[in-house]
Amino acid sequence: MAGAATLLLLRRRPGRLRLDRARAALRLAARGGARYAASAPRLFAVAGERRQQLREDLALQTAEDVADTLGAMKGVMMKIGQMASYVDDGLSPAVRQTLARLQDSVPPMSPGLAAAMVEEELGAPPDRAFARWDPRPIAAASIGQVHRAVTLDGRAVAVKVQYPGIAETIAADLRNVALLRRMLRIAAPAQDADALLSEVRDRVGEELDYRHEAASQRLMAAYYDGHPTIAVPRIIDGLSTRRIMVSELSGAVRFAELASWPQHERDLAAETIYRFVFRSLYDVRAFNGDPHPGNYLFQRGGRVTFLDFGLVRHFTPAELRPLLQMARTICVEHDPEAFRASLENAGFLRPGAPVSTQAIVEHLAVFYDTIREPGPRTITSDYASSVVRRFFDVRGPVAAHIAVPRPYVILQRINLGLFAVLGELSATADWRAISEEIWPFTRSPASTPMGEAEARWLVRRQAAAA
Amino acid sequence: MTADLYATATGLIERSAAAYAAGVPEGARDNGFFGPASVTWRVNAGLASPVAGLRSLLMQALHPLAMAGVDQHSGWRRDPVGRLAATSAYLATITFGERAEAVRAAARVRRIHDRVRGTDAVTGQPYAAGDPGLLLWVHAALVDSVVAAASLVGTALAAGDSNSYVAEMVAAAELIGVPRPLVPSSVPELDLYIASVRPGLRCTPAAAGSMACLLDPPGLDEDTAEIWQDIRDAAVAALPRWARQMYGYSAPPLTPGRRTEIRQSLGVLDAMVLGQPGVLEARQRITLRMRAARPA
Repeated sequence: MAGAATLLLLRRRPGRLRLDRARAALRLAARGGARYAASAPRLFAVAGERRQQLREDLALQTAEDVADTLGAMKGVMMKIGQMASYVDDGLSPAVRQTLARLQDSVPPMSPGLAAAMVEEELGAPPDRAFARWDPRPIAAASIGQVHRAVTLDGRAVAVKVQYPGIAETIAADLRNVALLRRMLRIAAPAQDADALLSEVRDRVGEELDYRHEAASQRLMAAYYDGHPTIAVPRIIDGLSTRRIMVSELSGAVRFAELASWPQHERDLAAETIYRFVFRSLYDVRAFNGDPHPGNYLFQRGGRVTFLDFGLVRHFTPAELRPLLQMARTICVEHDPEAFRASLENAGFLRPGAPVSTQAIVEHLAVFYDTIREPGPRTITSDYASSVVRRFFDVRGPVAAHIAVPRPYVILQRINLGLFAVLGELSATADWRAISEEIWPFTRSPASTPMGEAEARWLVRRQAAAA
Repeated sequence: MTADLYATATGLIERSAAAYAAGVPEGARDNGFFGPASVTWRVNAGLASPVAGLRSLLMQALHPLAMAGVDQHSGWRRDPVGRLAATSAYLATITFGERAEAVRAAARVRRIHDRVRGTDAVTGQPYAAGDPGLLLWVHAALVDSVVAAASLVGTALAAGDSNSYVAEMVAAAELIGVPRPLVPSSVPELDLYIASVRPGLRCTPAAAGSMACLLDPPGLDEDTAEIWQDIRDAAVAALPRWARQMYGYSAPPLTPGRRTEIRQSLGVLDAMVLGQPGVLEARQRITLRMRAARPA
């Protein structure tokens, strides 16, 4: 979206060719940039020693350094860039470049500045608040950075430390609705700017207070406690505040390494991710809006640790009902008219739109392609791209009548994030059978060994609850 | 015309950014005329630069002979972006470049100035761009504008820092050909100098026309126009009242809310510049040198 911002001066009225090309090119860039921005937390060290040294030399030493780097809309632009990637996909190289550069322009806090934040929040400097404290951050995080530490009672933890003063700055920037709307109109012209704007303001606003994230992560960790393959690091309660969040440290490997594992392992990891996304949605009524590879850690046997709950949206049963109806009518009942009615009920489709039901089904079926019929299916990168392409296809007779109501804006990330990850893994499974285990209207028996282990876990959960 | 202006807007960011990146040396052998501990380097890193630039053009244009020289000789109407980018490149080079580079850049500009001579149609006076009197006005307008813009929408300079900045910039005036004793070296001297020039200033038709075009470029779309309006409002608000009156602009003082909005727009603009190749690296080079020069 920084990218989007980039467009501001370069926009033109329709009908003038020269800039049209520039503008189209810019849009493409912002999209890539958004994806780039969304890949946090990125390890500071990935790009090698020299870069690491440079980042340390440039480290933010004072609150004024932070304000210069992230104030005046820049922090907000980065967040919007991240969110624009949920809903639009095609910004130009120039805009992508802007986002990437903006992201690169944020060095870590100096050890002294980070320690001062810890002391301000916890009442003691890090070397007294913790038994051990690593002054070198291991990753960039949402408006902050992550340090490794060991608690006084001996637990290895990840400590997320917010930049000083940033919450106030971003809160003030979020109040400039006019400028935000202009940027969103440019970043995601096909979307309803006002729906997107309120969603952006709410979600980014929540990220400013780490206690929201801690609450979401606590909820997830409690729900998945004892799960055979899904792990959510526990929040350490006494050490988590508005600007500090402490959670257990996981010792698993990153996505890049998973990609080198045998296909069998990759399929298992994919199955766990798939189960996590839809169990969270239908059972916990929560969706983590950031399903990208950087937020997953992997162990053999399909065990996946899920990180970063800064962008979780919670749903009411009433908000979920139409989604379930849509899946049921198109996948199970194969009833196009009922599918159309459920789209209209949810607000996805304008009632009485002058398009045939068959055209609607053809337009949207691609999203249900992997689950309309039983049997193993491989999710390829090509399939993932076709989903994305269809999603952003704003031409055609059907697209004009489709809109994404605000509660579901974040769910678009399923298409852009989940399927992209599964495609990257070339994952094969009987996705329909797994879905039937999870759908509340089917609740079928286990279809895989992982499903059986999960079923036993569900029984234990219920027994413990009773 | 409009399509050209759009092409212009596109090029402005790219070419100014390229000029800036090229002006910041890698592996510099000396600290140039200012150096990493200077106030000059610090104010150049601020967000307010576009406002300072626009305000200084507005001030400079009020001198009939300076305006006539630009109007009759410079190719700015044909290539306004090229003209602005050339100025950005020059300022970046003399600010951050090595001494030898700065001297070379100044010599190039002085050679061009040598050819710019003529008679102003409005006052009937002859002019020469190399005239130290004209160059001093252009210099003073820039220095005054940097201080005014920083205090209005940037990080205001402490009184001592403003004086230091004016004193440091004497070197820039000297480079372009103003004898050192003529150049104000403190804020009070600068104010006195500007007051002494004021009786000869006026808004000629050339100034009115070109500044109107600069403040309200025809053909901008709605979103662009709104961002531009923020920069323009700040530049006009930062002018001395008498200068606004000469142009006939009315500008209520900026409310705190409006200043915040302007800063936010400047941040967006700054992000655009940052997105251009080489700019982040150039800024990092400067930051590293400024850090190293920070008192421990």
